[in-house]
Amino acid sequence: MSLYVLEGLRPWVIQRVSAVYIALFILYAAWCFFSADAIAFEAWREWLYYPFNTTVVGIFVIALLFHAWIGMRDVVLDYVHNIMLRIFILSLLVGVLIGSGLWVFRILLLSVVGQ
Amino acid sequence: MKFKIYRYNPETDAKPYVQEYELDNVEPGTMLLAALLRIKDEQDQTLSFRRSCGEGVCGSDGMNINGFNGLACITSLDSLKQPVEVKPLPGLPVIRDLIIDMDQFYKQYRAVKPYLVVNDPMPEVELTQTPKQRERLDGLYECVLCACCTTSCPSFWWNPDKFLGPAALLQASRFIEDSRDQAFEQRLENLEGPFKLFRCHTIMNCVHVCPKGLNPTKAIGRIKAKMISRSL
Repeated sequence: MSLYVLEGLRPWVIQRVSAVYIALFILYAAWCFFSADAIAFEAWREWLYYPFNTTVVGIFVIALLFHAWIGMRDVVLDYVHNIMLRIFILSLLVGVLIGSGLWVFRILLLSVVGQ
Repeated sequence: MKFKIYRYNPETDAKPYVQEYELDNVEPGTMLLAALLRIKDEQDQTLSFRRSCGEGVCGSDGMNINGFNGLACITSLDSLKQPVEVKPLPGLPVIRDLIIDMDQFYKQYRAVKPYLVVNDPMPEVELTQTPKQRERLDGLYECVLCACCTTSCPSFWWNPDKFLGPAALLQASRFIEDSRDQAFEQRLENLEGPFKLFRCHTIMNCVHVCPKGLNPTKAIGRIKAKMISRSL
């Protein structure tokens, strides 16, 4: 663990594994979307209520956050050479990603348990 | 035949400029190096570039030819669009005209310890290999260190002091694959971290320009595969 949060082989593997998972999830989600009887909030909520769907969506969000972190971190490492600016951007990125993740999980939780 | 050549002498020029030359009676099959030597002999003795063997073995005449890195001595003029634009290899400081300062390139090369590390007492005979073990070095040992690959790599342009670059990583792979080497663990350990190896984004410019037809991207992939199997 370092300033870059995950470095070397581990993020490289996570990036690829998460990419495969995201691709598979998109196919599954598209298939569910196009084969759904109704496209509405209630139908989506019902779909999400199935434990399988709750699990795959939850994993998808985590995979997406990791994938986004590693991808954006790579861009910053390539282009931003000033160390203080790099720390600032990476910190901001971590904040945005964690915030987005919590927000998504709040939405999912409220949808599953009901408001 | 027309040529546009990058010129820069830091002692006399405020900034680089492009100079045009024209050569008559260029025979078919003439290599670019021969043309540059003719320009130097017949028109402008101040034109500076490195060269040595003249047949793609020493790797000293690497330059950017019509936008692609290559060795002037094995680049036929027949294959080039006119005017032939010749520039120094990108990404490293220019010493003069087409001559670049390769210190950073060699620094990264030395960082991978490009030699066999043997901790056991040396045997009285050679360190032998089976034909199959030797075969694993094919596509890795042929590198002539011309720097065409490394200087065409955007990841190296962005982080020349941290990313080792395709040439050094090809050499790293060459010794990681060598059955006689005893520093396998240390070599892989040395490549960990976000920069040395993992700045490679598989852009593959290195593969496209290598005058020896080598594949540094594949070699980097082999290192990653070794890292994965080691960590499992």
